[in-house]
Amino acid sequence: MMGGFIDLYTEADTFLHRMDPRVKIVAVLFLSLLAFILTNLTLLLALLVLIFVLLFLARATITRTVFALKFVLRFMVLIVVLWPIFDPTGTPVLASLGPLKITEPAIWRGVTSAVRVGCLATVWYILMFTTSQRDLVRALVKIGVRFDFGLTLAISLRFLPTFGALIDSIKDAQRARGLELSKGGLLKRSRNYVAVLVPTIVSALRTADTLSLALQSRAYGARADRTYLRDLNMRSSDYATLAVLVALLVLPILAKFVMNVAI
Amino acid sequence: MKALELRDVRFKYKGSENWALDRVSLEVEKGEFVTVLGCNGSGKSTLCLLTNGLIPHAIQGDLQGSVEVFGKKVAERPVAEFATKVGIVFQEPESQLFCMSVEEEVAFGPENLAVPRDEIKERVEWALELVGMRGYNSRSPFSLSGGQKQRVAIAAALSMRPEMLVLDEPAYALDPVGRTGLYSVLRDLKEKHGMTVILAERDAEEAAAFSDRIVLMKDGKMLGSGPARPMLSDPDRLRNIGVRPPQVTEVASLLNARMRTSKFSFLTVEEAERGILESILTSRKGGKR
Amino acid sequence: MIPSAHGIPQEEKIISTRNLKFTYEGGVQALHGLNLDIRHGDYVAIVGGNGSGKTTLAKTLNGLLKPTSGTVVVNGRPTSEQKVAALAKVVGYAFQNPDHQLFCSSVEDEVRFGPQNLGYSEQEVRQKVERAIEAMNLDKLRSVAPLSLRLGERRRVSIASVIAMDPQVLILDEPTTGLDSGESLELMDRLKRLNGEGKTIILITHDMKVVAEHARRVIVMANGRMILDSDCRGVFSDLAILGESSLEPPPVTKLAHRLAKHGISPDVVSAEELVVQLMKSGGGG
Repeated sequence: MMGGFIDLYTEADTFLHRMDPRVKIVAVLFLSLLAFILTNLTLLLALLVLIFVLLFLARATITRTVFALKFVLRFMVLIVVLWPIFDPTGTPVLASLGPLKITEPAIWRGVTSAVRVGCLATVWYILMFTTSQRDLVRALVKIGVRFDFGLTLAISLRFLPTFGALIDSIKDAQRARGLELSKGGLLKRSRNYVAVLVPTIVSALRTADTLSLALQSRAYGARADRTYLRDLNMRSSDYATLAVLVALLVLPILAKFVMNVAI
Repeated sequence: MKALELRDVRFKYKGSENWALDRVSLEVEKGEFVTVLGCNGSGKSTLCLLTNGLIPHAIQGDLQGSVEVFGKKVAERPVAEFATKVGIVFQEPESQLFCMSVEEEVAFGPENLAVPRDEIKERVEWALELVGMRGYNSRSPFSLSGGQKQRVAIAAALSMRPEMLVLDEPAYALDPVGRTGLYSVLRDLKEKHGMTVILAERDAEEAAAFSDRIVLMKDGKMLGSGPARPMLSDPDRLRNIGVRPPQVTEVASLLNARMRTSKFSFLTVEEAERGILESILTSRKGGKR
Repeated sequence: MIPSAHGIPQEEKIISTRNLKFTYEGGVQALHGLNLDIRHGDYVAIVGGNGSGKTTLAKTLNGLLKPTSGTVVVNGRPTSEQKVAALAKVVGYAFQNPDHQLFCSSVEDEVRFGPQNLGYSEQEVRQKVERAIEAMNLDKLRSVAPLSLRLGERRRVSIASVIAMDPQVLILDEPTTGLDSGESLELMDRLKRLNGEGKTIILITHDMKVVAEHARRVIVMANGRMILDSDCRGVFSDLAILGESSLEPPPVTKLAHRLAKHGISPDVVSAEELVVQLMKSGGGG
């Protein structure tokens, strides 16, 4: 179950799948930034539509996306509902109850924020959907993250499903000894979790131990330089995309901050 | 030059009272397939960790005596230097595979050594072919069976082109199918590629078939070393070190006792069949029940 | 065909499954309609290779997994109606890796954990703990931290902690893996004693040597189905079945099969048995 959460990657042969992962990371960062720069709801909706077009290009089905973003969707609804309650400024006032004032602008602001969150979540989802963890880590290292960090990240991702399964197994083993993890108040439950936590940590440490020996046995850190079996190479389409992305970000920035256009 | 030379080696893990290895002297020639038999605490795992310098560099403790691998003293050279000479495979399939795909795992070693990309590619294919895992390049380790994981671990060690392969109870966590697969890989390595192999095991059954030499260990001491046949012929000797004797050697030993002879010596089911047909069952052709 | 255990009086059955099916969340069907009856006092080995479903089956017997369809009845009640904690009083499960269960600072605390969870009184808990410690020969180790013990000892602690809950059935997953020959013999001996005292023992294993030496009844699983349910002799004389379940018969059994045309019966399970037969057949040499 944990593996499924982290590894959203689905193999396919689409433009987005083929794109250099570095460009994709830049794209996600730029589009996220754009989502924050834009304050006009119409423009934000346009951005959302653009992102959905990308989703379509990546061949992600609606059902899968909705399932993956369940939590986000709920969060978005929550924002729309709660925003007006906590933001009583502006006119016209639609309803009031004592200090509580529901105003029309506040509702729109709530919706705008929700759409912004939707843009962010979806664009990151597309990244995870079209890029394997392996490529993500390699992209980070290529960009300039130290190989050590890249390896640490890769190893963590690699072991997530393993530790997920381990914890499940430990929970089962302790349940078979009468441990009821969902019973009791907060204090009792925390103490119950010790029975799961200790074996997990012990196993994790043992694994880490062997892992460290295995790494050393394979000459990790033997030399400062290092070669890579698979490398990332930018193609012309990647450069073109990069150019488009820069434009997509620079123009609104210019418009907003230099020319003071209200977007 | 010998592949491995231990002279009067003693080792105590940090914080431990007992000697994990107690005055062990052992020589392994190039091309030999040596099986080290012993149970928990016998020192066989410690022995494996000495072969590429993990002891004393990565594991703390008190090491005495001389350990030389292909002529170099392990205490004096870093672990990385032995990586191209000795490949090591541990008993837990899960904890020695840390990359996100089989291909990356097998390429990891040569990448660290800055081997040129084309050569890495070749080595990866070669290693995967040797262990029968060709085509598994993009599979993730999580999706493999225990036996497959161990074979990938062997490939990951082989891609560094070592001259000696050391395996510490590699079949421990495997089911019968996994075990068989693993041992056939080891057999191939010995018979087709002449690799020097040190195999630490607790079960003598498979080892019997193709080891050049068996070493018996108990409580850190080496109790004996010699060719497979004589070393495995006495079931009690094996039980004494906590190792189950191969069933066919038990049969031979019992037959010898019953028939007051010492001619029976079986290491495999085939040998036992032949030996029994020759000496026992053919004396009554058309058999009485 | 599978010689089944139908026709056993209802009171004698302690665990029964009827058309038991189980499918994991990802869609993999692990059990395809199993019918199994386990009697009080049985000593059963459930064998099969990886993926045969033996572990999945075992976990349905103590309620860790509830059937996707079909039923598992323990002591007259379906497991789907009972909580795992309640079933733990009847069916104990010792996991293959003792390190997945051990977490206390002393062996005694570890062994107490189970019965305490089940809500027994302090006096009852103490009694059960003492019996379990005695059964697994842990008296000298009772104040030692379990995680500092050797594997064989840790396994004994884990089994003791399950015995302490006083279940009628004991399921053990690969109990002899990693033990040296002496420890293995000792453990199997203790299990035999427990069986003699009336406990039902279910072993999950792929070590056919252990099965040959101890189990009275063997259930062979392959691909989520029971392909044979027989006594040891029955199982070992059927090499084809063993092959189907990716199991290896003990070498001595393989040898006996090869000598079968010379009058050796192929269901031999130990070196001694084979030699006895050889001596009778042609010996004197």
